[in-house]
Amino acid sequence: MIIFESIIDGIRDIRDHFGRTMLQLVGIILGAASIVATFSLSVAGKAASMEFYRISGGIEKMWVFDKPTGKVTLNAKALASKGLTYSDALAVRREAKEIDLVAPMASQNALVHYGNVEKTREISGVTPEYAPLTDFHAGTGRFLTDSDVSGAARVVVLGSERATEFFGTDNPLGKTLTIADTGYNVVGVMEEKYFSFDNKRNALRWMNRQIYIPVTTMITRRGETLGQGKIERMQTRMKSVKRSDEAVGEVSRILMRQHGVKDYEVMSRVANLRRNEQNNKMYDMTFMVCGIISLLVGGIVVMNIQLASFNERVREVGTRKAVGASPAQIFFQFLSESVLVSLLGGFMGLFIGRLFTMGITSLINQQTIITMGTLVNAMLFAAGTGLIFGMYPAIRASRLDPIVALRTE
Amino acid sequence: MSAIFKYEIEGPEAEPPTVTERALITLEGITKTYDSGENEVLALRGIETRIEAGQFVSIIGPSGSGKSTLMHILGCLDSPSEGRYWLDGEDVATLTSRELARIRNRKIGFVFQTFNLLPRATLLKNVELPMLYAGIGRDERQERSMKALERVGLEKRYKNRPNELSGGQRQRVAIARALVNNPSLILADEPTGNLDTKTGSEIIAIFEELSHAGQTIILVTHDPAIAAKTERRIRIVDGVIESES
Repeated sequence: MIIFESIIDGIRDIRDHFGRTMLQLVGIILGAASIVATFSLSVAGKAASMEFYRISGGIEKMWVFDKPTGKVTLNAKALASKGLTYSDALAVRREAKEIDLVAPMASQNALVHYGNVEKTREISGVTPEYAPLTDFHAGTGRFLTDSDVSGAARVVVLGSERATEFFGTDNPLGKTLTIADTGYNVVGVMEEKYFSFDNKRNALRWMNRQIYIPVTTMITRRGETLGQGKIERMQTRMKSVKRSDEAVGEVSRILMRQHGVKDYEVMSRVANLRRNEQNNKMYDMTFMVCGIISLLVGGIVVMNIQLASFNERVREVGTRKAVGASPAQIFFQFLSESVLVSLLGGFMGLFIGRLFTMGITSLINQQTIITMGTLVNAMLFAAGTGLIFGMYPAIRASRLDPIVALRTE
Repeated sequence: MSAIFKYEIEGPEAEPPTVTERALITLEGITKTYDSGENEVLALRGIETRIEAGQFVSIIGPSGSGKSTLMHILGCLDSPSEGRYWLDGEDVATLTSRELARIRNRKIGFVFQTFNLLPRATLLKNVELPMLYAGIGRDERQERSMKALERVGLEKRYKNRPNELSGGQRQRVAIARALVNNPSLILADEPTGNLDTKTGSEIIAIFEELSHAGQTIILVTHDPAIAAKTERRIRIVDGVIESES
């Protein structure tokens, strides 16, 4: 009952002192608004990277790169190590239990020629696993098959930009593309890949500029034996994200046995993600601190004005006490006023925060996402500010001696 | 429905119960000292008296005599340094500030020289205030407030705010507020001090009427003419009761 009446009184007070209340609100509004804006930026950033990961093969993805060791003293096996080879990929595919897909990749620049178009382009030697691993599939025709790989077939699959580059509007399927003086049969054209963080640049455009041939074809064309065939990297996929450390460890062990020296590096998206999360936490903290500082400033304003209002209302407090208001009732009345003002400020801050995010989006083309959680957080912080900074004026009012209060002019 | 005034059913002609088995107020050796650094100030020095239920008493005395201090203690706004104060069978001298708030709320109605109405609240809300702190529901609060306003002849103005009233009218609202919780005691501190003589007499007339209805009233004043209208006068000088009449 008293609680309800105090709230009604509080609302009346806000209405009666509109200008003063607005002043009181500014800090809270800006604090809540900056929380909304920064959180929605951070949420959108996270969502964008998750979407990027999903569209480019999922967070189960791992890579193995060549990383020549700088060591001088090496044993015979280490000295013999040629770095990452096709047989490493076969060993991982054969033995690793935590891994379900292995896609070795060798690449090389070569002169590519069709009709009167002749250009030096990067050629990638891959296996069929490449398609599911990168979630990148043939748009027309087909991707490379196991028999292409086992037969070291002279077939080629083009990224969409390359198809246009060499064939224009013609249908490339069935045509013969010349790569380093050897004819390759075009069996497929990849779908177009698109992802953008800023709605401007396609972050996956490089995928549309690929030319794929079987990895075995590339190795044998280079004049290497399959077992010793050099590959630039290997993409693999772990079976379970939960067992990512085991998957990385297993692949490392197999390669160590093959090479005798750590001249490779195993990376996983899970590890990247962990590192990103760490960074994100730091950004979030920074954002939060900014918001909290605004709210602190707002809170101090609330406190000041509550104190001023209290000084104005000393007689009123005295009267209320004389007719039987207990210290707790006075305390609650003052506290509910500052909490109400802060809640109002927080609520208005949500809209101002929305304006902020719209400004951010239009100025720097950064996506923002406002979630319910962000709004609730901003309101909670605003109310908390009112609660904390309303405490002192409320305590002072509740402790006021009614005799002194009634004597005050 | 609860009665607003205790002795309403007896009517104005009925004899007020001036003497009862136990007095409404018993003061035993009430002392109040203020410790202002080096020298102790004795504001009250052993006040002993009894006030029966239904009495209309005035406390008079020059300024600095201690009558304000006595009124604060009688009104449970302050506690005595020593002594006992029995109010309606309860020793209130040793209560905490929270318990004193409850006593003020239930047993005492204040009327101040400066009216002390809430400026932004309507008359109805002003009169409701003591019941608000007593935790009484909205409907009952409004009903009882309207009856109290009727009693002082301001029921038609219930929506007005204090600044739309004359001084005499404001004091009548304050009286309605003092009455609304059916207090055992109405304590009026110079209630006519801010009013002209004619309006002051009107206010005193209301107190007389309430007294006839059986309400216990203690009136603090320095005006002998007003004190003369009460049935008993307690004169305080230098913190002690100098005379009673």
